[in-house]
Amino acid sequence: MIRLALRGVLAHKVRLTMTAVAIVLGVAFVSGTYVFTDSIKASFDTLFSDVNAGVDLYVRGVSEFGNQLPRIPESLVDEMLATPGVEIVAPSVDGIAQLVDKNGEAIGGNGPPTLGFSWVPEGEGLTPLEIRDGDWPRHSDEVTIDSFAADANDLHVGDSIDVILPVGVERFNVSGIATFGEADNLLGATLAVFSQETAQRVFQAEGQVSSIALVLSAGVDSTIVQTRIAGSLPDGAEVVTGQAQTDDNLEAVDEGVGFINTILLVIAGVAVFVGAFLIQNTFRIIVAQRTKELALLRAVGATAGQVTRVVVFEAIVIGIVASLIGVGVGILIAMGLKAAFAAFGFGIPASALIVKVRTIVVGLVVGLGVTIAASLVPARKAAKVPPVAALRDVETPPRSLGRRVAAGASVTGLGVVMVVVGLVADIGNALALVGSGALVTFVGVSMLAPLVAREFARFAGIPIARWRGVSGRLAQGNAMRRPRRTASTASALMIGVALVSVIAVFSASARAGVAGALERTFANDFQVAVSGFSDPTASGLSPALTDELRALPELETVVRDRFGVFRFSGSEAESFLLGFDGPIARVMEVKMEAGSVDQLGPGTALIEKPDAERLGVEVGDTVGIDLPNGASVDLRVVGIFDEPVLGVPLVVDLKTYEDYLPLRLDRFIYIDIAPGVDPADAREAITGVAARYANAKVTDTEEYAAGLEEQIGMVLNLVVVLLGFAVIIALLGIVNTLALSISERKHEIGLLRAVGMDRRQVRRMIRWEAVLIAVFGGVLGLVVGVGLGAAVVLAVGQGLTLTFPVGQLVIYLVMAGVGGVLAAIVPARRGARLEILGAISYE
Amino acid sequence: MNAESTAARVENATKIYGSGSTMVTALDDLTLSFERGKFTAIMGPSGSGKSTLLHCIAGLDALSSGSAYIGRVRLGDLNDKSLTLLRRESVGFIFQAFNLIPTLDAAENITLPVDIAGGEADKAWFDEVVATMGLGDRLTHRPAELSGGQQQRVAAARALVSRPEIVFADEPSGNLDSKAGAELLGFMRHAVDEFGQTIVMVTHDPNAAAYADRVVFLGDGRYVNELADPTATQIFEHLKSIGG
Repeated sequence: MIRLALRGVLAHKVRLTMTAVAIVLGVAFVSGTYVFTDSIKASFDTLFSDVNAGVDLYVRGVSEFGNQLPRIPESLVDEMLATPGVEIVAPSVDGIAQLVDKNGEAIGGNGPPTLGFSWVPEGEGLTPLEIRDGDWPRHSDEVTIDSFAADANDLHVGDSIDVILPVGVERFNVSGIATFGEADNLLGATLAVFSQETAQRVFQAEGQVSSIALVLSAGVDSTIVQTRIAGSLPDGAEVVTGQAQTDDNLEAVDEGVGFINTILLVIAGVAVFVGAFLIQNTFRIIVAQRTKELALLRAVGATAGQVTRVVVFEAIVIGIVASLIGVGVGILIAMGLKAAFAAFGFGIPASALIVKVRTIVVGLVVGLGVTIAASLVPARKAAKVPPVAALRDVETPPRSLGRRVAAGASVTGLGVVMVVVGLVADIGNALALVGSGALVTFVGVSMLAPLVAREFARFAGIPIARWRGVSGRLAQGNAMRRPRRTASTASALMIGVALVSVIAVFSASARAGVAGALERTFANDFQVAVSGFSDPTASGLSPALTDELRALPELETVVRDRFGVFRFSGSEAESFLLGFDGPIARVMEVKMEAGSVDQLGPGTALIEKPDAERLGVEVGDTVGIDLPNGASVDLRVVGIFDEPVLGVPLVVDLKTYEDYLPLRLDRFIYIDIAPGVDPADAREAITGVAARYANAKVTDTEEYAAGLEEQIGMVLNLVVVLLGFAVIIALLGIVNTLALSISERKHEIGLLRAVGMDRRQVRRMIRWEAVLIAVFGGVLGLVVGVGLGAAVVLAVGQGLTLTFPVGQLVIYLVMAGVGGVLAAIVPARRGARLEILGAISYE
Repeated sequence: MNAESTAARVENATKIYGSGSTMVTALDDLTLSFERGKFTAIMGPSGSGKSTLLHCIAGLDALSSGSAYIGRVRLGDLNDKSLTLLRRESVGFIFQAFNLIPTLDAAENITLPVDIAGGEADKAWFDEVVATMGLGDRLTHRPAELSGGQQQRVAAARALVSRPEIVFADEPSGNLDSKAGAELLGFMRHAVDEFGQTIVMVTHDPNAAAYADRVVFLGDGRYVNELADPTATQIFEHLKSIGG
């Protein structure tokens, strides 16, 4: 039996290759993701371990959560020097500093942070930074920058450069260019290194440092010293081992690559899922084509179980071979990703590619599992072939669709319920539930699809039959004759189209929501925000900009806010807050459920309605929050707002913010111009000031809304591009189905050729069949996708205005049809080249 | 026999398959003509070259050497496109099996060659052919809803509907029971007598061959001899005598 299965694989090499391609691609994405992220982690592991190997202890601020450590008093440096057993004391002052290129454009700030460090001679060899050109910043007017920023912007030692800092924009001379280990930068972050006094001044850390690295004298027991130091440290400071610091550094890197990992794995999952449809379809067709062979097996005494095993065993062989190839291709993908990241300025220290056993095992399990699972239904069908089928042509009567309706409807229902529950219910991991609900829905709809496939093909085929004559009529008939096959081929495409449609609906709704909310809320004339797309807890505008703007006579009101992280007391989930400085009501019309914006002051807060309801707080009550530096504060609620435009559940005033949060950069500036001032003049004045701050972008409300919409669109378009991968696999499925159908119908095509159909007409017939299948998949995808998208939008509710981007959806449908034409190219050519005689000769 | 009365012919036709030790000579310098308006049967043992002859003269396969003609047209001079057009306009086919397109109903199958050519079927002629083949009440049925005999009659109607120069039939009754086979052959005979259709049929069934005006016997790719207006018994006896 095993030999038979192997022969079967060899006999169907070509058609199984297509199947294998789907598995290879899916497995390659899964394993490539692991290889890539493992390699990144391994290279940073090596780097940090090397660096921190020289450091015995670190003294640093205590941070409960968030990504910024509070600073500690500089006096601790002297205390450390006085501690017995401590040989080297190397303090560091960290902050945020954005470089400006020669054209006055900000460098970086699109995602990765823009880091600032201090350098002291004692720290030589105790940081991951290595000087490539020039020297460290030994004077107050010097800066050392990372080599990616230097090379990409044609900056050299001796050049002068503007740097945006909390104290304003200042000009420095480039004293040196540094690498991060062997990488040009740290995962895309830009670096600016200053002398310690300069760092303290520009980061507003007078009398403070961020951390202190300690090297102990030889032979000193570090635990004893650590205990001794720990006993003498003030509140808010702690001493940890070099190893603990390494682990924390690595955790930050893990977080950084974690999102890449998640995105890639989700896409890999979609690819595998789509691939499963393709595999199942291929096996189903192969089984149908081998009916006689399988019946012969039954006739000579094989049991139904044996026949099933032959098919499943074939699946296993293909699964193993394709998965192994997939792991190999995955390694190539990882290399490509690494190269792409380096090219786009995300520096990764050099290291070998790490292929863990886990990667190979996961790849094999996924590839093999999907292949076997997808072959089970066709294998069971194979076992039902009656022995008599070997002796004559038996058209297996189509099974009753009643059970299929029931099963398909219940699966679809289950999927929809999962999606709805995930969206509405307040449970952990709701996103996973929504995602798997969507997948279950896809399976359910694909089970129901054969019910409508025939009618769809008939209906959609009418114009084709009219327009393309007999070729079109035959294409219509061919698409109708095997509704199950048409449906399951189309289902693979449905998934891809559905996913991009969900995103299209969500994106359009989000854009409409943003535009609407801004229009309602923004009562100001101009805004200044950070250009680019970066973490608002680690970037921002220099507060000096606000001060300069407030001095302008053309402006009446200048309000700013800062962004920070906190937790509601008793909750593990991190939330974000805004700290406002200035009369909010003058620049915004925040829709209030209760209380008033005007009451906001030190020790008070505004809270968003859903959280107020969840916590059961009303105006006048207090709400407890925990802050990154370990502080817990009770704030008196003075207002409950019902407007998601702020994007955060809690608003405090700037005084409260500065008491507990470390960031000294502004997120956003709201500007109201003075009465009687021409907006154009005001804008000129604002721009005149903001021009020096290269990361500041001045907009009026309309431009700002457009910019936000563009950002939303860009992010979602990126996801659509990545999902295009799933669409390509689905198109491979159409290629495969057509190729198999053609070899199945070669007699028919031979007959058509014999009675006078020319090759062009044959190609046309196959092409239009492909278009019908693809458009069917596209329509199913649009229906499911728009439904899911609308569900998501309605469930999220706040900030979204349900909008259907009809034009975009129509474009998707047209693209599906074009995809069908492309998928048909090779099969159509093969069909047209069939030897007439071979096709009509009898077996 | 002059060119006007010849519907199709082969001259010094040789067809060789394979090469070296696997070389098979299917047609060996064969010269043969088919008279217009006649029903000719080709007989011979398996491997005698009768199917190869049919394929080559119908333009489905190319000769290794020699010439094949439909009317005055030499097939060897035509490219695939022209051959397709020739088949479309001048040749009808009836095969043993796989004769109909399952997604089309009987009427659509009958008009298929006309539809492919982008023309309109001659309604009166269509009705006449359909009536001759006894298919009047079956036109809207799909092939799967027709009996084997009905399917072959649809195929025969399709072969006739474009008024081809010549109809080639390859064991048309091979898959039918004797009653359905007799019916089909009767209809084909009728088409020759009534419409003056030229039919060339390959068969190894003496009963089928007995419907023909002329039975040509082949052996090893060569012409052996022929009988005019034979009965089934005569053919049977003759086959025995030549060792078929």
